Amino acid sequence: MTPTYAATSGGLLLVLAVMLPAAAALAMLVLGPRHTRRVALIALALGLVVALATGLQLVRSGTALIYVIGNWQPPLGIALRADGLSVMMLAVTAVVMAATGLFARELFGLDLATSDGRLATSFWILLMGLWSGLNLVFVSQDLFNLYVALELLTFAAVPLVCLDGRGETMAAALRYLMFALLGSMFYLLGAGLLYGAYGTLDIRLIASAGQHGPAMAIALALMIPGLLAKAALFPLHLWLPPAHAGAPAAASAVLSALVIKAPVFLILRLVVDIAPPGAAAVAGQVLAVLGAASILFCSVMALRQERLKLMIAYSTVAQIGYLFIVFPLAGVGDGTAPWGTIAWTGGALQLTSHALAKAAMFMAAGIVAEAIGHDRIRDLGGFGRVLPLTATTFGLAGLSLMGIPPSGGFIAKCLLLTAAAIGGHLWLALTILAGGLLAGGYVFRVMDRALATPAQPLLLRKPIPLRLELIPLVLAVLAVGLGFLPLAPFGLLQIGRPDIALVSP
Amino acid sequence: MSAMALTSASLFGLCGAALVGIGLFCIVSHPDLLRRIIGFNILGAGIFLVFGAVARRGAAMELGGDPVPQAMVITGIVVAFAATALAIALLRRLASLTGSATFEAPAAPPRSEP
Amino acid sequence: MSAAGLLLAAALLVPLALAAGCLSRAFQARVPGLLWLAPMPALLAAWWLPAGTSVSFPVPFRMTLALDQTGAILLGGAALLWGAAGAYAASYLRGKPGLTGFCVWWPLTLAGSLGVLIVADIAGFYLLFTLASLSAYGLVAHEQTPAAKRAGLVYMVLALLGEAFLLFAFVMLAAGQPDPNPLIRDAVAALPGSPMKDGIVALLILGFALKMGLIPLHVWLPLAHPAAPMPASAVLSGVLVKAGVIGLIRFLPFEAALPAWGGLLGTVGILTAFGGAALGVMQQRPKTILAYSTVSQMGLVAAILGAGLAAGDPSAPGLAAYYGLHHTLVKGGLFLAVGIALACGGAHRRPVLLITGLLALSLAGLPLTSGALAKLAVKPMLGYGLLSIAVSLAAAGSTMLMLHFIAVIARETADNPGASAPPAETLPFLIVAAASLVIPWWLYPTLSGDALASAWSLASLWKLVWPMMLGVVIFMGAGRFAGLAGRVPEGDILVLAERQAPRLARMPAAIERLDSRLRLWSAAGLVLLGLVIWLGGGFLLAA
Repeated sequence: MTPTYAATSGGLLLVLAVMLPAAAALAMLVLGPRHTRRVALIALALGLVVALATGLQLVRSGTALIYVIGNWQPPLGIALRADGLSVMMLAVTAVVMAATGLFARELFGLDLATSDGRLATSFWILLMGLWSGLNLVFVSQDLFNLYVALELLTFAAVPLVCLDGRGETMAAALRYLMFALLGSMFYLLGAGLLYGAYGTLDIRLIASAGQHGPAMAIALALMIPGLLAKAALFPLHLWLPPAHAGAPAAASAVLSALVIKAPVFLILRLVVDIAPPGAAAVAGQVLAVLGAASILFCSVMALRQERLKLMIAYSTVAQIGYLFIVFPLAGVGDGTAPWGTIAWTGGALQLTSHALAKAAMFMAAGIVAEAIGHDRIRDLGGFGRVLPLTATTFGLAGLSLMGIPPSGGFIAKCLLLTAAAIGGHLWLALTILAGGLLAGGYVFRVMDRALATPAQPLLLRKPIPLRLELIPLVLAVLAVGLGFLPLAPFGLLQIGRPDIALVSP
Repeated sequence: MSAMALTSASLFGLCGAALVGIGLFCIVSHPDLLRRIIGFNILGAGIFLVFGAVARRGAAMELGGDPVPQAMVITGIVVAFAATALAIALLRRLASLTGSATFEAPAAPPRSEP
Repeated sequence: MSAAGLLLAAALLVPLALAAGCLSRAFQARVPGLLWLAPMPALLAAWWLPAGTSVSFPVPFRMTLALDQTGAILLGGAALLWGAAGAYAASYLRGKPGLTGFCVWWPLTLAGSLGVLIVADIAGFYLLFTLASLSAYGLVAHEQTPAAKRAGLVYMVLALLGEAFLLFAFVMLAAGQPDPNPLIRDAVAALPGSPMKDGIVALLILGFALKMGLIPLHVWLPLAHPAAPMPASAVLSGVLVKAGVIGLIRFLPFEAALPAWGGLLGTVGILTAFGGAALGVMQQRPKTILAYSTVSQMGLVAAILGAGLAAGDPSAPGLAAYYGLHHTLVKGGLFLAVGIALACGGAHRRPVLLITGLLALSLAGLPLTSGALAKLAVKPMLGYGLLSIAVSLAAAGSTMLMLHFIAVIARETADNPGASAPPAETLPFLIVAAASLVIPWWLYPTLSGDALASAWSLASLWKLVWPMMLGVVIFMGAGRFAGLAGRVPEGDILVLAERQAPRLARMPAAIERLDSRLRLWSAAGLVLLGLVIWLGGGFLLAA
């Protein structure tokens, strides 16, 4: 019997990507609070190097990287595999994590009380746990292993939400935890049914099975909504606005930019890799309807928010919607290869540029709240005068969210719109345009305040160091810089796709 | 023959399904958070039972008992335990901060300053 | 990259560099004095470079700039006005609050508005068009008064709406091309054969008509242009509306006749020309009257382009650009004139009013002025039918509107104390006024195909004079419109729309209520179960 997976060179990098943050978290516990920050920064730097090396290895070999843990082949063992999309996710995660780490270092440094206190220590440990979970979601091939990764992610993300220990963030965290758990339970039940039907939980083995019975349909019908609950797509977004708005700025940045992308990534793998074509087409349609509803509904909600962070949080739910309208635009389920289409590239770009722009935006909002003492949009008149760099950051990130050139968001929206025009999906095209207009509305509301001349000039509660303002600015500039990518399908996203090594168990 | 089938794996399965149903009802309908957490545990127990049934029915290997679901159930129990512990800890903190153990009352997004 | 290419690129890059310079605190204070320099490369390029010069930026900046005759005509006029207005602004805004912000938005708007005249690829056009649109918000809302804020809001909403129309049109236009970012020329050449032709043309006309302020999409213009500081009003009204004109010129297929769309555009244009004049005479503030005059004049340009599109006449773009050049210089000059006139009194007032009156009547087609040349140049293309008569009658409307303007400005400045505007403001104004009188003569033979002498033949004069006489008669007959003053608020139909606003606001409120209901725990749980059933049913049916 030929092995299901053949380990490739560089496969160990995937283990490193998962284990490095986990080892860092352990080291923090062992070495104690005084060294937490140093360990975290070293781990962040190493993590960036690992992500870079993984990318280089992938491009050089031109095939997906594979590692079989302990050389135990599935169905007993677990395989790790990273194709172009996974590596892109690893890289985006590493970049946003590194920026968040630097930002948190400066932010905690502002307050002597928090600089070495319990809050900072917990933050660093949780951040590392989060990172490990994220990387595992992006590379694992085993559905149960993915469940564990998702839970790890949730358990790290929930305490991040209530780090400041106030009553309402506690409530937000608990609500988040409970809804995420409900989602996980659905996912786990689906995974159990799949094991019953196929005797394996390996994605490649399940996909290569010739026959799919009703067990597959029911399992997918349980797993996809379960993951949607964790991704907070409308109408399952109840937990996201209070959780993301209540968390400390550095935490909100990772939560909004990365954590909700993990379940989205998994839904993508379920629909594209596992689901039989008929089911994939149905799932694509349903997800696109929900995604479009999310874009329109939550953009209007963002427009109505009084507080800056809540507005950004609602904008996250709206922007996630774009990732779900990719399914019909990329022709998922109609027998063609979706990863070669412009819509697929558009989706990947939307994901990346949103991650960068949203992280920048939450950090900017955090700086505003820190410097001015509140984040009521109405009373922020003239913050652009006292915090010009932060206002610029907000504007640049806003360009990407609105889809105004030159920015990654523009290219993404342009590609999706082209796919909609070619494919004749008029309603999706109109949704994309309307979403851009509404995003323009809520970004404009803030920028209008930034540029306003108030009767009484705003006073800074405390001085904001330049370095703190520069970190989100760099992220926003990166999001805008993505706008210089060519308007064509990426080669990188096609590496390792389709998974040609499909073999029967 | 059908009665025989009912007695073994299917019984596990049906039991699991019933527990899943009870757990879901408990989670969705009860405003009290502690009950909801217990609902999660019932739901989890149901799912683990389904896994047990699957171990009997689905195993591709010619082993007497399939070890993979057992490993998963053990892992799952650990995860569920951790989740319960985290939820209880948060709940206790919430109750001591606000004096209430539900969150339908402050359902509106937080209003005060960060 | 050749020297010519570099100059063309500099037309775009120099203003951007100036805006970037505002980031440095040391440089900031010197920027106002440099504003007039920003459009100079563009002016030189329009003057010197031969048509056909082009330059492509290296990867990854996928942008191609190319100069053609149409673009050069508009570019020259626009750059001249930007330069003069920049010099004027440096003096006008000295010591006023918000100068730094102004110095950022000004060169950005400048780069965008000049860039759209020379850019040759679709993505680049969209980028620069958006840059001009969004940056102009900073100029509109600069004064931060309630009126400026309202104008800014209306402007922004409609500008974004226009962007959305255009983006969709551009995406459909580029969809059939092998290159994902084709040259406008290639994409438009393929347009008549595109299956989505009607949708594309409709969206293009909507998007650009919004920018030009064609009725009924003009509502933002009479609010936004007067709200800005004086020099900004001049460029908004003189140059920015031309972004819509160049858009129609570049993107409509004038080689292939589209009679239905051409007819529609022409009709809307004529209605706008009349409507703008009719609404304008009811206004009382000089800047608002000028803004309505811009609406009316852009209607005429649209009528020219519509007639060209209907007949498939490739000379229409050049003539529209010529008309646009005349309007750029005259309207820009008039806005600067308002500022000068309001600052002048006593003995200085009379010469200023004289030049202002000359410029104003030039818009109506006063013989020997640029307006007369522009109207004579387009006459042959419009033919001698209904359209030609309609355009002549529109000139009567312009005459009325401009007489009304002169009357208002004379009244407003009557009590000014004896003073004169600073020379740093007067000189730019005089340059623009002189250019508006001279430059069109120089271009006339190339564009109209007639000898200059034909412009002062008796027949030509009569063509120009009878509508003006009609306008004067109506103006006098109607008692100088004293009874109409203030009958229609600024922004006319927008005010009606705003009355419906409470009704419109109900929908977001309903969405908010629905959101708070969906975010209840039990509702979300049931929705989750519902999704499971929906998906499961769908999968089982599909299998």
